[in-house]
Amino acid sequence: MTEEVERDDASTDAGDGISGDRVLAVPCEGADSLALFALDTGERLGEVPVGSHPVHATTCRGRTVVATMGERAVTAVDPSGEVTRVETGVLGPSHFAAANGELYVSCSAGDALAVIDPERLTLVDRVAVGAEPHELAVSPDGTRLYSGSRREGVVDVVDTETRDRLAAIDAGDDARVQGIAVSSDGTRGYAVDQRGARVVSFETGAESGSLSLVEPTAAEAAVGADPYDLVVTEGRVFVPGRGDGVVHEFDLGLEPIAVHEGFSRPVDVFRLAGRWWVLDAEASGLRSLDGERVETAAPGLVATPAGDGRLAVSHYDDDRVSLVDVDSGTVWTADSPAYPFGSVVV
Amino acid sequence: MTGEHSTGDGGDSDPAENATRRGLLRAAAGATVAGAASTAGCLGVTTPADVAAQNEVSGNVGHFVGPSWLADNREDTVVLDARDPERFREERIYRARRVPFDAVTARESTEEGDVPDADAIASAFGEVGVSPDDDVLVYGASVGSRVTRVAFALAAVGHEGSIRVLNGGLSAWNGRLGTGSRDRVSPTEYEPEPDDSAWVTREWIADRVGTFNADGPGLVDVRVPEAYLAAAGSDALNGDHDRHGHLPGAVDVHWVGNVSGRRMTEPTRLVQLYESEAELDRGEPVVVYGDDNVDPTSTWLTLKAIGFADVRLYDGGFGEWANVDGDRGRYPVETATNVVVETDGSVGGDDDGGDFSCTG
Repeated sequence: MTEEVERDDASTDAGDGISGDRVLAVPCEGADSLALFALDTGERLGEVPVGSHPVHATTCRGRTVVATMGERAVTAVDPSGEVTRVETGVLGPSHFAAANGELYVSCSAGDALAVIDPERLTLVDRVAVGAEPHELAVSPDGTRLYSGSRREGVVDVVDTETRDRLAAIDAGDDARVQGIAVSSDGTRGYAVDQRGARVVSFETGAESGSLSLVEPTAAEAAVGADPYDLVVTEGRVFVPGRGDGVVHEFDLGLEPIAVHEGFSRPVDVFRLAGRWWVLDAEASGLRSLDGERVETAAPGLVATPAGDGRLAVSHYDDDRVSLVDVDSGTVWTADSPAYPFGSVVV
Repeated sequence: MTGEHSTGDGGDSDPAENATRRGLLRAAAGATVAGAASTAGCLGVTTPADVAAQNEVSGNVGHFVGPSWLADNREDTVVLDARDPERFREERIYRARRVPFDAVTARESTEEGDVPDADAIASAFGEVGVSPDDDVLVYGASVGSRVTRVAFALAAVGHEGSIRVLNGGLSAWNGRLGTGSRDRVSPTEYEPEPDDSAWVTREWIADRVGTFNADGPGLVDVRVPEAYLAAAGSDALNGDHDRHGHLPGAVDVHWVGNVSGRRMTEPTRLVQLYESEAELDRGEPVVVYGDDNVDPTSTWLTLKAIGFADVRLYDGGFGEWANVDGDRGRYPVETATNVVVETDGSVGGDDDGGDFSCTG
C-alpha cells in the first residue's frame, strides 16, 4: 500500500518534530505539477511541471518521484532540481513501493509493474502481473511484493530479488482488488475487494516458487459498501466503507471487533497522538473512532502523516492543502493548483 | 510494393507530398471515388455503366483503381480473385485466377516472432502463374481485408510488378465475365525476395514499447473498440487469448472505416480519420495490427494509398502478443484508455465467401 511507504518516509523524516525546512510536495492532478509548500508555514515555494495527471509521490535515494497516471513514465526530481522522466513503457503509473533497493511502480492501465533504479533513474525491468495493478505492499523483510489487480481479482506475489512473479492469489469471483497490506510480522496479507465489499486475508510464504493460482487460505469478511483502502497495524485491520459511511474494525484473523458508524465517506484511517483518526471525503474534519473531532477547511480525500500528531491533508475538490494538528486544529491552509492528491513530506 | 502514385514507397520529396494533398483536396471537390456525380443513368435506374462510374478513382490515390483502368490495361495485367472457390466458380472477371487464400496468410515462427512465410506465399502465387514482375490487380466482393491481404502478401514476397486493387470489387466490373472451373494456367517458379520493411516482429515492437504514437512510430489497432478496450463480457474478446486489451500506446481505428460498402472510403475522409483524428504522421513509420494478419492489411493498404510513406504490418498480431510465452513484462498490454477514433464504415459484398468473413 503506497500510503504506508509514504508514511514510513514521513515518520522517518519528520517523526520527532517538524523541521523548519521540511517541504510538503503535493502532486496536483489537474495541473500536471508538483506543488511545494513549506511544511511549517504553508508558504507556497514553487511548482514543478511533472507530466500528465500526477497522483502520488514518494522519496527514494534523495529523489522525489512522482507517479503520473497520464503518462508512460514517472518523473523524478533530484536534489539539484534536475527533473528526469523515467519511462515505464506502460500507461498509468499509480502507486510506488520500494524493495531490494529498487522502486516498483504499478502501471494501472496495463498489466505490469515497472521496476526503476532510483539511483540511475532508469527502467530496469517490467514484471507482468494481473491487469490494472493498483496498490502495492511489501513484506517486512522486503523479499516479497504484493500487487492487487483491479481487473483480474488477484494478488500477485513478486520475488523482489529475482523480480519473478511467484503466484497469483485469487481474491474471489469477480473481485476488484484495491487496497493491499501485509501484517507487521509478515505472516499474513490482506486485500480489499471493492466490487464485493469484502476483505480477504491470505497466508504469506505459501507460494511455491512457480506461478500458480492460490486460493485464499485464511479468512474473509464483509465490509461497508465501496471499500477502497485498508490499514493493517499491530493487532487491527481497519477498512473504511465509502459507500455507507462505516469503518469496520477486525483483529488480524478478520474476526469483527466493531463497526464504526456515522461517517459520510470515510477514505482512510491514521494513528495520530494515541487515537485512530478517520479522513472523510465528504466532511470538513477528522473524526476519531472514539468521537473526537477536528475541523478542517474542507473535506480531504488523501492525507499524509507529517509527524508530531500532524497530518497533511489534500482537499482534492477544493484545490487546497492543509496541515492539521489533531490536538490543536488546523495549522495552516493554502491554495494549491488543481486537484491536489497524494503528498509526501521531503 | 510498387505503385504508380506519386507518394509511393520511394521516399518522395515534399513537393510530391504537397501534390498528394492537392489531389486529395481536388478529390474532395467532387472528382473522386464515389458516384454521387454520376449522370449516366436515368433517375431511379442504375446501369452497369453507372456502377462502374461510381467506382472510378481519380486524384492522387495510390493502389486503388476503378474498372476503366482495368478495361484499359486488361491485357497487360494479371487479375487475381481473392474470394472463395464457390464464388469464383459462380462468376468472376474473365481469366481471373483464384488465390489460395490460406496460403497467403501463412506465417513462420522465428526467434523475433511470427513473420510472413515468404516461401509458402510465393509458392501460392507461383501455382496460379504469377511471376515477380507481373503487374497484378486483386479484386474481391469489395475492397475488404481479404483483397488487401493478397496485396500485402505480394508486397511481402518482394513483388516487383505493380499491385493494384479494384475499387468496388466484382460488382463494379462491367466487362467480360467468366464462370465455371478455373482456366488452365502454367505455374511459375516464384522466387521470393522477402521485403521485411513491409512488416515488423514481436521483438521489434517489444524494443519500442512506450514510444508508439509518442516519440516513436505510429501504432494502429484495427480491431473493434470493445476488443481494444478489453470490454468485460464483450463478444469481441477472443476467448483463445490469455490477455485482452491492446499494445501500449496504440490508437484504435476500426478497419471497416476504410471501406464504404464495396469501395474505399472517400480519400478526404480517410485523411481526416488518420491524420487529424488519429494524429498519425505520414512522414513517420506506422505499424498496424489486428487480432490476425488479415484485417489490418486493409489499413496497411489504405494508409499507403493516401500517401503514408512507411506502413508496416505486425503479422503476428495481438494473437501472438497476448499469448506470448515467457517474460510477459517485456510484452505488456494496456486495458485502460487511449484513443479510440470512431469510424462509420461498412463492408459490403456477399456472404461469408466475401470479405466480411475475415473481420474476426
